[in-house]
Amino acid sequence: MNNLTIGFIGNPNCGKTTLFNAYTGADLKVANWPGVTVEKVEGSFEYKGQKIHLVDLPGTYSLTSYTMEEIISRNFILSDEVDVIINVIDAGALERSLYLTLQLLELNKPVVIALNMMDIIEKRGLEIDMHRLPEMLGIPVIPVSARKRRGLDSLIHAAIHHKDAPIDPLIHEHKETSKHRHDHHKEYTMVYSDDIEDKIDIIIEALDKQYHDVKDKRWVAIKELERDNEIIEKYPLDLPFLKDDHSSLIINEKYDFIGEVIDEVLVHRERTDVFTEKVDKVLTNKWAGIPIFLLIMAVVFFLTFTVGDFIKGYFEMFIDLISKAADDALIYIRAGDTLRSLVVDGIIAGVGTIITFMPNILILFLCLALLEDSGYMARVAYIMEGIMSKMGLSGKAFIPMLLGFGCTVPAIMASRSLEDRRDRLKVMLVTPFMSCNARLTIYILFAEMFFSDKAMIIAYSMYLIGIIVAIITSFIIHIFDKGHTVNYLLIELPEYKLPDAHTVAIYVFEKVKDYLEKAGTTIFLATIIIWLILNFGPGGLVSDMSESFGAYIGRFLVPVFTPIGLGFWQVVVALIAGISAKEVVVSSMAVLFGVVNASSPAGMALFSSSLMSIGFESLNAFCLMVFCLLYIPCAATLATIKKESGSWSWTIVCAGFQLFVAWIVTFIVYQLGLFLI
Amino acid sequence: MRLCEGSIDRRYLVEKIDLPFALERRLEALGMTIDGPIETVDKKGKGIMIIKIRGTRFALGYNITKNIIVREDL
Repeated sequence: MNNLTIGFIGNPNCGKTTLFNAYTGADLKVANWPGVTVEKVEGSFEYKGQKIHLVDLPGTYSLTSYTMEEIISRNFILSDEVDVIINVIDAGALERSLYLTLQLLELNKPVVIALNMMDIIEKRGLEIDMHRLPEMLGIPVIPVSARKRRGLDSLIHAAIHHKDAPIDPLIHEHKETSKHRHDHHKEYTMVYSDDIEDKIDIIIEALDKQYHDVKDKRWVAIKELERDNEIIEKYPLDLPFLKDDHSSLIINEKYDFIGEVIDEVLVHRERTDVFTEKVDKVLTNKWAGIPIFLLIMAVVFFLTFTVGDFIKGYFEMFIDLISKAADDALIYIRAGDTLRSLVVDGIIAGVGTIITFMPNILILFLCLALLEDSGYMARVAYIMEGIMSKMGLSGKAFIPMLLGFGCTVPAIMASRSLEDRRDRLKVMLVTPFMSCNARLTIYILFAEMFFSDKAMIIAYSMYLIGIIVAIITSFIIHIFDKGHTVNYLLIELPEYKLPDAHTVAIYVFEKVKDYLEKAGTTIFLATIIIWLILNFGPGGLVSDMSESFGAYIGRFLVPVFTPIGLGFWQVVVALIAGISAKEVVVSSMAVLFGVVNASSPAGMALFSSSLMSIGFESLNAFCLMVFCLLYIPCAATLATIKKESGSWSWTIVCAGFQLFVAWIVTFIVYQLGLFLI
Repeated sequence: MRLCEGSIDRRYLVEKIDLPFALERRLEALGMTIDGPIETVDKKGKGIMIIKIRGTRFALGYNITKNIIVREDL
C-alpha cells in the first residue's frame, strides 16, 4: 500500500482541525478563536487503497515564525516528511490568507488549496471566481466545507493527483510587464520586481558556490533577503546588499500581487459580515463590554448550578442504589468488615461522590464550548486589554485564564499562543488561580452544606476571587518587573458563528470522558490510599481513625493551618490528598467521615453535622473553599507547567507561590471573618 | 498622526510602523503594509482598537496603536 503524508497548514482559526477530524474521525478540540491547536497532531485513513497520513499543524500567518506553535508548523513544512501540503484557507479571509499561500509556493513543494467555509461567504453574498483563482496561482483550488463535510473526496483526490505534478504553466500577467532577463512568470507564481529578482539571482549564484546541500535555493534566497535568523545562521553569505533588510519590500510586493488576484477573483468584496459588526457594537462596547462579560459568566454559573443540580439528584439516587447493592452483595458473600468498609465507605463513598457532580461539570463545559465556538472568546481579549495591560499582561493572556474555568491543563497549554516567554511564565503562575471544574465539586458541596440559600452566590464569589487574585498577582509581578516587558495585544477577531452541534458535542463528550477517566484512575487510587492511611496506624488496623497514620500526619500540620481556620487534622489530610486532583478533597472528606453519597440531601445533613461536631462552621467552610481555590494545583497541572516551561525550578516556584498566596489570602479571610462575626 | 488618535469608522493609510522587528513583520504579514489601507471599527481607552486589515478584524493594544503612524485616506 502506498503511503502519502499530507500536512494541513493555514492561518489560525481557518478550519484545519475540523477538516482533520472529518477525515480521520478524530475528536480533536476545535473552536472559533485563533490558537486552539498548539501542537502538531497526526492521524491516518485509507483512500482508494492508499494510506493517507495527515498532520494537523498549529495555525500560522507566515513562514517567518515568531511563536512556538508557528515554529512547529514551519519546521514540519520544511522537512522532507511532507509529500503534499494542503493549505487550508478561510474563504472569508482570502486576501490575508494568500500571503501564506505565496510563501508556501516558494518552497517548491506540491501545494493544494482547500478553500474552506465557502457556504458562509455565499450566504454573505460574496463570490469567488473558481476558474480564475487556480489559474492565477497555478495550483488546484478545491472548495470545501469542513463543518458540513463537503468536498472532502475531491480535496484528497487533488492532493494525490498533484503530488508529482509540476506547477502548471501560469497564464496570468502582472500589471507591469517584466523586462527581466529571466522570464520568471512561467516558472513562479510570485515574481518580484526586477531589483529583487536580480538580488535573488546573485544570492542563488553565491549559494551554488558556497553550499551544495541547498535544495530550495529560491526560497533560501528570499529568506536571506528577509534576514531570517535560521537561514542566515545556516547559510551565511557575504554580499553587501544583504546588510539591508528587504522583508518589508518583499511583503509589500507579495501584497501587491495578492491585490491583483483579489481584484480578479473576488466579487462583491465590499459585502461585510453585518451580523458580526452589529453584535460587536454591543459585546465589545467600551462601557458595556466588562459588565456583559461578567453577566455571561454569571449565567454560565447559574446554569451549572441549577440545571446541573437538578440532574445531579438522579445521579445521587443511582449511587445510593449502587452502594446498597454492593453492601448487600458483600454481606451475601460474607465478606469481612474491612473489605466492606474499603468498598462502601472507601471506593463508593469517594469515587461515587465525585461521579454525582458529573451533570454540573457537563453543563459547565457545554456553556464554555458554546462560548468558544461562537467567536466570543477572542473578544474577551479586547474587553480585558485595558485591565490586563495595567497588570503587565496582554488581554490575550486572559484567554488561557478564562479556559482555566474549564480545566487548568489545556489553559496552560494555550499560553503557547503568547509571543513573549515572560508572559507565558506569568500566565502559568496565575492561571491555576482560576476555578477549574474540579474545584467546582468542592464549592457545590460546601456551599450547599453551609450556606444553603446563598450557596450559588458563595460559589460564584470563588470565581471572582480567583480572577481578582490572578489580576493582583500579575500587578505585583509587574511592579517588581519594573516595566521590563511591554505587552502587545494583537489578536484576530473571527466572525461570529452559530455554534456547531457536532463540535460542541465532541468538546463536551471529551471533557466528560476525561472527568470519568480521572474518577476511575487518579481519584480511585487516591481514595484507596486515603482509606488505607485512615484505617491503618502504627499498630496495624485501627477502629478509630484518630489513631491512623493519616491522623498523625494531619495533626503534625494542624498548627500551620489553624491561623487560616483549617486546623482540623481531617481537613489537612484531605488537602494533602487534593494535590493529586482537587476532587480528591471531596472524596477524601467523604471517606474520612464515612459518608456515602455526600452530595445527596441526606449525605449532606450527615456530613455537615459530622463537621460541625468537630467545630467546623460556615466560616471554616468558606476558608476551605478559598484555600482550595488558590493552593497548589493538581499533579496534572504541575506536570503541564513543567512541560511548557521546561523548568523544574519554575514548576517548584509556581507550586510554592500558590501555596503561599493561598495561605495569606485564607488567613486574611479567616481573621476578617472572626473580627466581623 | 498616530493610529491611537484616529476615530472610529474611518479609513487610514499606514505611513510608518515603529515596533519591535518581529511584531512589525507580523503586522506586515497580516497585511498592514506601508501605504496599505486600514479601517477603524472600535476604540476604547487611550487607544485600544479594533481595526480591519484587508477584510479581517483585529484587536490591537495601545502599545501597538501608539506606534503606528497613519494618514487619512481621502
